[in-house]
Amino acid sequence: MMRLFRQFILRPLLRDRVRTATTIVGVALGIAVIIAIQLTNASSVRGFETALEAVAGKTSIEIVGSGSGIDETLLPSLGWLREFGVVSPVVQGDAALVEPDAVGQPDGTREAGRPRTEAVRVLGVDILRDQPFREYRLLDVGAGEPEVTTQRFLQLLTNERAVVITEKLARRRGLALGGEIRLMIGDRVVSYTIRGLLKDEGPARVLDGNFALMDIAAAQLAFDRLGRIDRIDLLLRNPEDLQRTLVALGPRLPAGIEAQRPARRGAQVETMLAAFQMNLTALSWIALVVGLFLVYNTVTISVVARRQEIGMLRALGVTGPQVLALFLGEAAALAVAGTVLGLGLARVLADAAVALTSATVSTLYIASVSAPPAMTWGHVALAAGLGLPLSLLAAAVPALEASRVAPTAAMHGHDTLEMRVRLRPVMLVAPLVVIGAAAGLARLGPVNGRPYFGYVSAFAIVIGASLIVPAVMFGLSRASRGFLRGRLGVEGLLAHANLSAAIPRISISVAALAVSLSMMVAIAVMIGSFRDTVVYWVGQTVRADLFVGPGVRPTVGSEQTLSSEVIEAVTRHPDVVAVDSFRNLDLVYNGNLVVLGAGHFDVALSRGALLFKSPSNARAAMRAAIGQDAVIISEPFANKYGKHDGDVVGISTPNGPREFRVAAVYYDYSSDRGVIVMDFSTFSRYYGALPPTGIAAYIKDGVDPERVRSQILAGLDEGHRAFIYTNRALRTEVLRIFDSTFAITYALELIAIVVAMLGVAGTLLTLVLERRRELSLLRLTGADRRQVTRMVMIEAAMIGAVSQGVGLTMGLALSMVLIYVINVQSFGWTIQFHLPTAFLVQSTIVVIAATAVAGVYPARRAAQLILSQDE
Amino acid sequence: MPLLAASNLQKTYVSGDARVAALAGVSFSLDAGDFVALMGPSGCGKSTLLHLCGAMDRPTAGQLLLDGRNLAALGDDELTHVRREQVGFVFQFFNLLPTLTIADNIALPCLLAGVTPQEADRRTRELAGRVGITPRLDHYPQQVSGGEMQRAAIARALAHQPALVVADEPTGNLDSDNGARVLALLVELNREMGITILLATHSADVAAAAKRVLRMKDGMFE
Repeated sequence: MMRLFRQFILRPLLRDRVRTATTIVGVALGIAVIIAIQLTNASSVRGFETALEAVAGKTSIEIVGSGSGIDETLLPSLGWLREFGVVSPVVQGDAALVEPDAVGQPDGTREAGRPRTEAVRVLGVDILRDQPFREYRLLDVGAGEPEVTTQRFLQLLTNERAVVITEKLARRRGLALGGEIRLMIGDRVVSYTIRGLLKDEGPARVLDGNFALMDIAAAQLAFDRLGRIDRIDLLLRNPEDLQRTLVALGPRLPAGIEAQRPARRGAQVETMLAAFQMNLTALSWIALVVGLFLVYNTVTISVVARRQEIGMLRALGVTGPQVLALFLGEAAALAVAGTVLGLGLARVLADAAVALTSATVSTLYIASVSAPPAMTWGHVALAAGLGLPLSLLAAAVPALEASRVAPTAAMHGHDTLEMRVRLRPVMLVAPLVVIGAAAGLARLGPVNGRPYFGYVSAFAIVIGASLIVPAVMFGLSRASRGFLRGRLGVEGLLAHANLSAAIPRISISVAALAVSLSMMVAIAVMIGSFRDTVVYWVGQTVRADLFVGPGVRPTVGSEQTLSSEVIEAVTRHPDVVAVDSFRNLDLVYNGNLVVLGAGHFDVALSRGALLFKSPSNARAAMRAAIGQDAVIISEPFANKYGKHDGDVVGISTPNGPREFRVAAVYYDYSSDRGVIVMDFSTFSRYYGALPPTGIAAYIKDGVDPERVRSQILAGLDEGHRAFIYTNRALRTEVLRIFDSTFAITYALELIAIVVAMLGVAGTLLTLVLERRRELSLLRLTGADRRQVTRMVMIEAAMIGAVSQGVGLTMGLALSMVLIYVINVQSFGWTIQFHLPTAFLVQSTIVVIAATAVAGVYPARRAAQLILSQDE
Repeated sequence: MPLLAASNLQKTYVSGDARVAALAGVSFSLDAGDFVALMGPSGCGKSTLLHLCGAMDRPTAGQLLLDGRNLAALGDDELTHVRREQVGFVFQFFNLLPTLTIADNIALPCLLAGVTPQEADRRTRELAGRVGITPRLDHYPQQVSGGEMQRAAIARALAHQPALVVADEPTGNLDSDNGARVLALLVELNREMGITILLATHSADVAAAAKRVLRMKDGMFE
């Protein structure tokens, strides 16, 4: 049997290199995309969690405040925490490494957005207390001392401009001990002296070595958090008492302060990213589905091309099951090769995918690392577990067909005629039932905040639409005969006849291509609609002339604020007539991270233009909320937590949990985390006078905002770096972020479509090989090469046209599910449905042209066929 | 001038180191209106000779003139045009395109040659009437009998009004009744329409219907 496999399967595979390579690459791409997305998703969450664990060190419990940290004056009253173990107060934040070449540019910015900066995690601790928590291994302090004592460490840091960085960062950036490092925090650029270098251990491993250690007082100064600390780390004397201690601490802690395990922040981030990542994962599966379609095609071609050989083998005594095993073996060989190649490709794709998604993750969510984690045996097992069984499944149909080849008929080549299909009711009933079920499923709500029924509904649409393909082709075959014959001549007549006779064979190819195209259409419609909605929203709501933000982009766990110098520079400018400062905080709500925002409601009402969802008199309701315990909430927050105007939301404040009435719900597309906004007066009452994280400025009519922006930036000293967007630049920036968010989507889609095109070429080749007798006959009857080529290319274009037609319909249905079910349930956004007509027309032309091009090789093969002597 | 003239026609097939001489120097000629039967055992070279005369293949050596043109010197595209314009084929296994109706099969050579659909349709109906398959025009090949398929194949071979019809064992796959009807049809077409026919057969009865019989053995005429 092995000998037969070698001679009958492996040799032809090696001989027909193009087809074999195409299939292996198809499977490899499918596997690679899935593993790459797994790695990419893991990179952001694991990156955050690794950083968390590295910085948390041995911390058992952390004591955290509500959004704005812990008031330092409370520390003496928390002395009792020492009953449980050792405590260490911590200030932590992210800074940006200032590029040497960026120094000297007065504004340090570009119109398109912030320049790419390298994030550095800064940890401020009291080194005397912190030693038990984290392992700091100083490499060298320059004095030739073999061991660094705590006392010496303390001396290194007792200066507000002293910092210890990692050896890795120093080496990478060419920084030296005693030298200077410039960090940007908020809008302030500060120079620090490097007093020590840390070995690559403990917290020094954070963000690939981008870590800096300061004294806690220096960090408070740097982050403008004087009088506040971010948390108190607690190292338990008896670590096994963790759960009991957590319960015991709760009631003893003052209002607004709570105890949690450090891992909880990781879990919160994981929840926050889950929807974004789940959608990527779902998308990555399409490439595999299309890759498997290639396996189906290749094995089909193999069976069709060697039908007579199979007949001969059968005549010589090879059993049906043995023939089945031979062709399943072919699929297995392709799958193994594809999987091995796929695992190698996954690493490359993961790097590309991380590059494409890290901008989104770090812009919208967290500071992420720029490299995916290493591949594990789990990934290898996943690849093998998907590649091999699914390839065997894909090959089952043609392999079964091969096992049923009759010995005599195949040897004479008379059994390859397709049965002409008749439209039977079941061809319509089954798909309509499935599509009906899809419609029903789309109406069901989320499960644990996840749109599982939405995904099943989308899957049912794909299955239903695929099942209806034969009926559609039957109908089109009837309808298009006259047109093709009349308009495309004898080649059109022949192409029509060939395709009509091969409906059972090509339905699978058409369905596979239609599935890929439908995803392209669905994603294009969804993104197009989303983009239009955002453009409208930005147009309506972004009214201020200038938007001022800190030099470093804030992310979760890294607040960045504006200093009084920058605020004054804006407010003092003679052309600025009104300023609305706002402040954002990360807040834990129902175990999830949401944004608590504060703004001046009166300025927003008189100058801004929020779009309200409810109530109808939302502006009056917002005005009434000024100074009251009332908030407005974003639509994603309202959808995720089932809140409406008039409801109450419970928020933890430094004074303990408080309830706030929901005055209105407004449309917001800036964050899917959900935003709660209160008037600044209310916010200050509960959270104190915190520096703002941004400013919206309104200038006099007729004044050029670009000029005001330049003047403000020019007025800032060397130590301050603000980012000021004009209204127009901010709108551009919003759309730039939007487009970069969806770049990965297009990339994944492109892979699926390329693989599907390969599939179309394969299908046509199957048809050509299957009809080689007829094609030879056609040549004998007088058809020249050009006519045969044209006929096959018309067939290819028709396959493309039908696939695109089915794909368009399927895609529009999918886009409805994406827009009205999956997006609403995942992110809480209302997207206005918009049909990107121009794109759809263009893509239809491109797909039909591309499939016609995919038919070139099969067409050339067809044109070369001529009846051989024995036929 | 004869319609077809072969002079020292040779055809050798090469497969690896093996060389098989299918035709070892054949000379003959065919006048317009001739009906010639080639007879001989399997492997004697009669199908090879038919393929060369039908412009399906090129000889290894020798000259083959069809209506004054040397087929041996023509390229693939030119041979295609010869087949399209001057030769009609009738095969043992009918070789109708299974995806086309009988009517479309008959019209196909006309359409490939650029004849208008209306003219192709007119010729199809006329020939279908002539060979007696008008009621079957809208059927597909697999829906009609072997005899009807062969009559349709004959109509197809005549549709583009070729100078020469090449028939390879046209009755070989038919029962005796249908075989006799097909043979009678060929004789009638030759006699009444003046169609030139070159036919290969094993059967002495079929050969007897021809005006002239050429016997072959080992790639040569006896």
